[in-house]
Amino acid sequence: MSNQYDIADDNALVIDINNLTKTYQTGAGGISVLKDVNLHVRRGEMVAVMGPSGSGKSTLLFILGLFQPPSTGGYKVAGVDVLSLSRDQQAIFRREMLGFVFQSCDLLENSTVYENLELPLIYAGVRRRERPDRIREALGMVNLEHRLHQPSNRLSGGERQRVSIARALVNEPEFILADEPTGQLDRENSLRVLEYFTKITEEARTAMVVVTHDNMTAEHCTRKCVLTDGYLNG
Amino acid sequence: MAIGKRKKITVAELDRIRRRGAGPLRYYDLVLVSIREVLRKRRRYIGVLASIALGMAGFIVIITMGNDLKKNFNNDLDLLGGATIMNAMFEQIQLERQEWFRERTLAAIGRIPGVLDTTKVALKASAVTTWHDRLFGFNLVGCEANYWKVFSFNATVGRLFDQQDVDAGARVCVVGADLARQMFGQEDKGLGQILSIDDNLYTVVGILGGVRAGDRSQFVFLPITTALARVGGVSQPYSCYIRCATWDDVATVAAAVPGVVKANQPDRGLRVNVAWEPLKQVQRIFWWVELFIYSSIVATMILGGFGIWNIMMATVTSRTREIGLKKAMGALDSDILYQFLFEALCVTLSSSVFGVILGRIGIEYMSRMLGTRPPEGMFVLCLLMGLAFAAILGVGAGLYPSIRASRMQVVDAMRYE
Ligand SMILES: Nc1ncnc2c1ncn2[C@@H]1O[C@H](COP(=O)(O)OP(=O)(O)O)[C@@H](O)[C@H]1O
Ligand SMILES: [Mg+2]
Repeated sequence: MSNQYDIADDNALVIDINNLTKTYQTGAGGISVLKDVNLHVRRGEMVAVMGPSGSGKSTLLFILGLFQPPSTGGYKVAGVDVLSLSRDQQAIFRREMLGFVFQSCDLLENSTVYENLELPLIYAGVRRRERPDRIREALGMVNLEHRLHQPSNRLSGGERQRVSIARALVNEPEFILADEPTGQLDRENSLRVLEYFTKITEEARTAMVVVTHDNMTAEHCTRKCVLTDGYLNG
Repeated sequence: MAIGKRKKITVAELDRIRRRGAGPLRYYDLVLVSIREVLRKRRRYIGVLASIALGMAGFIVIITMGNDLKKNFNNDLDLLGGATIMNAMFEQIQLERQEWFRERTLAAIGRIPGVLDTTKVALKASAVTTWHDRLFGFNLVGCEANYWKVFSFNATVGRLFDQQDVDAGARVCVVGADLARQMFGQEDKGLGQILSIDDNLYTVVGILGGVRAGDRSQFVFLPITTALARVGGVSQPYSCYIRCATWDDVATVAAAVPGVVKANQPDRGLRVNVAWEPLKQVQRIFWWVELFIYSSIVATMILGGFGIWNIMMATVTSRTREIGLKKAMGALDSDILYQFLFEALCVTLSSSVFGVILGRIGIEYMSRMLGTRPPEGMFVLCLLMGLAFAAILGVGAGLYPSIRASRMQVVDAMRYE
């Protein structure tokens, strides 16, 4: 398959990482966290990144999310060399193409579900009258339309995580990054969240990278990678 | 379904999106988000809101009523010290003829910037009259109708003669308070009596009063026209009084007078007398009053500024996670900057609205106590200044924390627990 990103291709390569390294500079010298990471994720794929604590999972996730640059290596998303973008271009790229689901949900306190989902749309400059439909559709993916105007702090843990999934979806991303998405959920709610993930990758063909150390979560993914000693195997 | 709709983005398109998204509607939305944020977390802002509102109220009361007080003060102090009144006169030099003020000289002095009014007097130092067979000596002053205004004199009894009397050369007189008591026993008994001065009869129309009337209590005043025409031995008007608008004009006017006189007539023997000592005292007192007023304003500004600065800095730190999250959702640095700036502005502006209301109440209360009417123009000015001040405060104190928030690296924010 070519490196060219094909918009009509249901299996197009969305994430293309080659020979990525990351070295943190500290007072005691450099800590080489990622030594040679290669990762290729296609549409509809859901890849689990596993590894023990301190192995560099978060580091990789932050690089994937354009929160910090790698030391060396190449990173393309949907055919765009995102490392060469300016700070503002990266921010725009993030809101157009990337969605995030974090372990601790991170919904805005004292805000309703609607307001939480509206924020990414405001940043993306979506017109006011287009927002309700987009928000309803995203909530529909996680079956939470009936919670639209509920204050976010009156939701259960599972519901909160589903709302943050909907928020990741609302800008119609090509690729979703999840950091321990089931870390704070019980088994039943975890399963539910994972079912939605599967549904999203299958129906919307969104590429997904899930950082986790939970085996059950990894089992639900289409592929499993393990980060050890700075190398990603799998 | 829109979710899963295929997107292909090029670098050129990213820039296009950025340009498209920079419209006013975006800021409108950000303002709404900020207002919502402040309203939801109002408890956090109540302290700073109260302090800015109180400061603002104090500021408005001080400025609005302070000026009122200053004006009152100005009048009273000036009357006591006579600091803005100066005397110009020609001295008798040996045997030469004494000079005196011509009309056009006085008119020219009146045109010096800072001069409020001038009035000339003709004098006779040792005039006498008899009353019920007793002889009374006094100073006779022939003066113009505006003499009273220049010295802020009034009549304790009766009236002071006016322009009509002066124009007509009327045979009326005003008598100093002590002299009136000595002659008539009581001040009000003198009213309407006829005095004989230098073989002419004059009707007493009033007794002189006013804060500075004390050193003229042995005087008798005639219209200057009458005095010059009828009183033997009265001088030409070799002396005149000049009243300046404010204390700050006195020095420049005093310096300008000799030149103006010289330009219009011989100035032989001219002397300008200024009460420098009272002038300095009054100015010193007022310097303190103004220092007090302005330091209060500065203190308000500094306190309010520190308050909002402090709370915004604390807010930025305590909301690190939220900032990281918003950036992860694609907020530009400028979006974060504006959001925090709008929040600061929202706090300071609503504080100032409360402050204006409180200040208004304070002004009503104070003016009721002083028995004056609140100066509305001043209040409106204060209101506008208060709003401008709030805006400056919001931007000034909110800007640095906002910039800090906007510059925050997403990793730092996301790793922050
Ligand atoms: N900013 C940093 N500076 C120095 N070392 C860091 C920094 N961030 C992470 N590290 C180190 O990198 C290693 C990997 O961290 P992390 O990516 O958080 O691992 P994980 O998420 O798998 O637990 C850890 O040893 C951590 O101490
Ligand atoms: Mg981690």
